[in-house]
Amino acid sequence: MHQRSLFVYVGLLLISTVLTVAKAQGFQVNFQGQKQQGMGCAGSALIQDASTLFFNPAGASFVSKSQVNFATTPIFANVMYVDSATNEIYRTENPVGTPLNLYALVKSKRFHRLAYGLSITTPFGSTVQYEPGWIGRFAITRLSMKVFHIQPTASFKITDNISIGAGFVFSPGSVNLQKDVPVQFNDGSFGKAEISGAAMGYGYNLGVYYNPGGFLSAGLSYRSGINMSVSDGQVDFTVPEGLAANFPNGTLSASLALPSVTTLGLNIKPNASWNIVADINYVGWNTYDTLAFDYATNTSSLLDTKSPRMYQNIFAFRGGIQYTVLAKDKVLNVRFGGGFGFSPVPTGYLTPETPDGNRAYFTSGISYEFNKRFSLDASIYATKITRADTNLETQLSGTFTTIAWAPGIGINYNW
Amino acid sequence: MKRQYSYILFLLPFLLACKPKAPTHVVDAGTADFTKFIAIGDGHTAGYMDDGLSLDGQKNSLGAILQQQLMTVGAPAIEMPWMPDQNIGLSANGLSRLILGYKTDCQGMSSLSPVRYSLQGETAAFSSSAYNPMKKHTNFGVPGLRMIDMVSTAFGNINLPQHNGFFARMSKDQFNLPGSGNYSSVQENIFDGGYPTFCSIYLGIEDVLPYARSGATQNPMSPLAGFPGVGFEESLTQLCEQLYSQQVKAAIATIPNISDWPFFNTIPYNGLTLDEEKAASLNQIYNPIGISFVVGSNPFMVADPNAGMFGVRPAVPGEKILLTAPLDSVKCNQMGSIFPFRNEFVLTTDELATIQSRIDAFNAVIRQKATTYGFALVETGDFYDKLTTGFTYNGASLSAKFVSGGAFSLDGIHLNPRGNALLANEFIKAINKKFTAKIPLINALNYNAILFP
Repeated sequence: MHQRSLFVYVGLLLISTVLTVAKAQGFQVNFQGQKQQGMGCAGSALIQDASTLFFNPAGASFVSKSQVNFATTPIFANVMYVDSATNEIYRTENPVGTPLNLYALVKSKRFHRLAYGLSITTPFGSTVQYEPGWIGRFAITRLSMKVFHIQPTASFKITDNISIGAGFVFSPGSVNLQKDVPVQFNDGSFGKAEISGAAMGYGYNLGVYYNPGGFLSAGLSYRSGINMSVSDGQVDFTVPEGLAANFPNGTLSASLALPSVTTLGLNIKPNASWNIVADINYVGWNTYDTLAFDYATNTSSLLDTKSPRMYQNIFAFRGGIQYTVLAKDKVLNVRFGGGFGFSPVPTGYLTPETPDGNRAYFTSGISYEFNKRFSLDASIYATKITRADTNLETQLSGTFTTIAWAPGIGINYNW
Repeated sequence: MKRQYSYILFLLPFLLACKPKAPTHVVDAGTADFTKFIAIGDGHTAGYMDDGLSLDGQKNSLGAILQQQLMTVGAPAIEMPWMPDQNIGLSANGLSRLILGYKTDCQGMSSLSPVRYSLQGETAAFSSSAYNPMKKHTNFGVPGLRMIDMVSTAFGNINLPQHNGFFARMSKDQFNLPGSGNYSSVQENIFDGGYPTFCSIYLGIEDVLPYARSGATQNPMSPLAGFPGVGFEESLTQLCEQLYSQQVKAAIATIPNISDWPFFNTIPYNGLTLDEEKAASLNQIYNPIGISFVVGSNPFMVADPNAGMFGVRPAVPGEKILLTAPLDSVKCNQMGSIFPFRNEFVLTTDELATIQSRIDAFNAVIRQKATTYGFALVETGDFYDKLTTGFTYNGASLSAKFVSGGAFSLDGIHLNPRGNALLANEFIKAINKKFTAKIPLINALNYNAILFP
């Protein structure tokens, strides 16, 4: 991660606005605010910038100024699979994921209790690409999922201490799934299948926030689940000519249920220099029980598939500390934190597209305010996840180890 | 202020490596010694598949795949009586191997079907010796080798009609009568130049299969009793005694239920599909003797001398129509309906029971010998049963279905490379268990299944 990787990343970011994301609980990505990322991805009750549009829309009316905030967090995720029967080792060749978030928050000039804003975030998605010829090639060779949340939001202070907020979420997305098909050409190479399609979903984001301005503040927010439906997907097969009639190219439909997230956030401020934050997430993954593909044309070799996923609702606990080093005209904050999340994937259902497991992670971060208008944030996240399982559907049996690094950077402009 | 601590915490995320580190696995031969390994068996061990022996088949044989993996724990390099590298293949009848190709049937319909690779097999291999005293064979897989052939001096004698061409070309005799006046037996060849330290033994299929393949009309099964070279049990006993006296360890496999194989199960007993017109015309013929036909699927008509005065009856559930049945004649020349299937294309339930009881008797002997001599026992029946049910292996479906099942080769009898790799894994599991070895299993996806044009 070191310098060379960072240069590579900067180059990639410049030429690509593609959202490719990996590695978070399930395929959830928790990188939606640099300050929170510095504190273990907690801090929904410590309102510091416009990212509260995502974390708790009620916090928006507590932000002191209008603000534009942009951040990105390249994810360097490496997965290693060790097959339990053969001891063979396979790795991913994931492209660098680039989740990003853009927030614009405007304080109403006429009604001081009102703030509204727009956020564009990427809270779900992943690109997982396994090395050629890997043993799980019939389960997946590459999956790229992209989900944008576009969320217009309004927040209103009911009293000086209590606010509410709500946002409507448009969620366009796309999916591209590639795998090998276990039929062989005369040269021994395998057939291939590629499924691709655009998806659309809708949801909402609600919050209530309480800040008496002293030792403690607290927030409760709820982001609804979103059903991403692919109505006009396309499946393309590359198979031997003798089998072409068995694997007809054509359209398909599918859907993917993104989970709801309920968050309780706390911020404790023992003195002017310190903030201690804690968030508890409850993620409603149980809506993701099946991954189904409904092909327009079925044959004896191409039946509609219903792959059980059986995800379970989970809790994640996040916490962190912010220490204000300089508080005069140029503010310097340093942060650290960590968290623990349970995996929503039950035993027997671990899949190579989301090699998830219970995870602990550490983060740290820094912010520097150059002047009243302009500030910079940076953070770093690192985690290691190890999970052994035998998938009941594919019988793929082995241990996935994931190491993910995510250094992020963001800029804020106030007026 | 405890500021310095916060800086330590600040650095925590930087302590992780960039990529997961590969684990190191212990690979160990346990109490077995594979430094002189020999695979003993029939066509499965030799790599006979798609009704032919070819270089590719040899490389993907049960014996070679197993030995390849045992090389991780000290087994020597594979030496086989290699076939020519054109890969044309050679069947026991001198034909080339089968491949999937397009075949036009008697009605002019073209479809995918097993076809011969070329007009003639690599018959020259039958007259050129593959023996090399500097590279003694590590694989004594001989297509057609029965348990009772192990000590036979006729097996390699090209002057006798019962000789085996695949063995003659690998024998140390090199087609010449040796000084002893007797051609060398398979067993003499195996022990030529010293005893092995470890053997895999997969014999017995050929003691029953030729009988079953002939529709129980010829090639009688080996008897259980009798001297070595005559009876199954004593033939195996003398082999085991020889190995045991030299402290040779072994893995020995039981005989699977061959009647579950695609050769016996691809054509259903009731595969006679009739339209209204054909059903009516057959009814005209057969109604007088009390047999009637319906539109749709009907049992094939089979010849049976015990079935009334006409010696013909409908096939019954459980009976097997063999893959050798001429399907073109079924489609265009009323074979299996007006003209009943001859006995050679049918295994009746009685015949199946006789074959099964012989296999069971042989297997009882094999299991007993494994216990007596401390050999690892490979229950091949468990593996073939799994295939018959169908299972998923790392995302690929496998079954005992002809062609589409992906485990059997195009002859419907021998496994294809992927099937051989999976069966080799059963040997490894048994070896690991018996000799407390730690030999990793084989990734069977690295081996071809059925290749499609």
